[in-house]
Amino acid sequence: MTALRALGLAAAAAALLSAQQLKFNLDYLAAKASDSVDLSLNGATLQFAARFLSSKDADESKVKKMIASLDGIYIRTFEFKDAGAWSPADLEGVRQQLRGAEWSRIVGVKSGQEGENAEIYVRTENKKINGVAILVAGPKELTIVNIVGPVDLDSLASLGGHLGIPKVEITKQK
Amino acid sequence: MDWLEQELKNALARKDPPPDFAGRVLGGVGRRAPSPIWRHSRWLAAAAAVVVIMGGAAAYRQHQGIEAKEKVMLAFRIAAVKVNHIQAHIQEAAR
Repeated sequence: MTALRALGLAAAAAALLSAQQLKFNLDYLAAKASDSVDLSLNGATLQFAARFLSSKDADESKVKKMIASLDGIYIRTFEFKDAGAWSPADLEGVRQQLRGAEWSRIVGVKSGQEGENAEIYVRTENKKINGVAILVAGPKELTIVNIVGPVDLDSLASLGGHLGIPKVEITKQK
Repeated sequence: MDWLEQELKNALARKDPPPDFAGRVLGGVGRRAPSPIWRHSRWLAAAAAVVVIMGGAAAYRQHQGIEAKEKVMLAFRIAAVKVNHIQAHIQEAAR
């Protein structure tokens, strides 16, 4: 009976994780891309990697703290030589999942100059963020980031100035 | 029955071994019995094999760990770059 209950709980947890995780299959775009990155890091991989992240190194220690409670990070980025290599329909599958009630768009930026669209969505449960999706779509670029689990966006943003990322000075409005 | 009895008697009759039998047996024993050193070296070889396998497994695990760590760092680099990029756009728009 206990084993059955444990199995049921595990199945429920797996179903919940699967609901949090966006499903995107954009492999076909890799052939058109000049550069692409495909990262699929599930919870077990993150916890395994955490053992190799040094607590003495400032950057690694920050990342180590952030991944402690995460269930996965899934990233696809494509860079294209020419504009128009991808179409909005390629993103439709992802957008459809983000239309769910649990997801809400917190930032949407449209840059007319660069023709770029950037959006940040958060998935909330019991008033707590337990997932983030970042979509950046430009004429020659397409990036989808899905972080599964409790994420602190401020901590993520504060990595600017670390990991070789230039720091963006945000002036807070009074 | 006589012939059968006779055959059995012949077959089971006590026969003395040839004179050099004991010498040959002892010689063979001396030649074939593994020496204590050989017995130890077999264990040493097995232990060395275990150490090599365990060392290889640990090195492979270390390699996998470093690879996973680099992937995690790359993932955070990409995510943070995008968030910072969006922040920069917001800041620009606010000006």
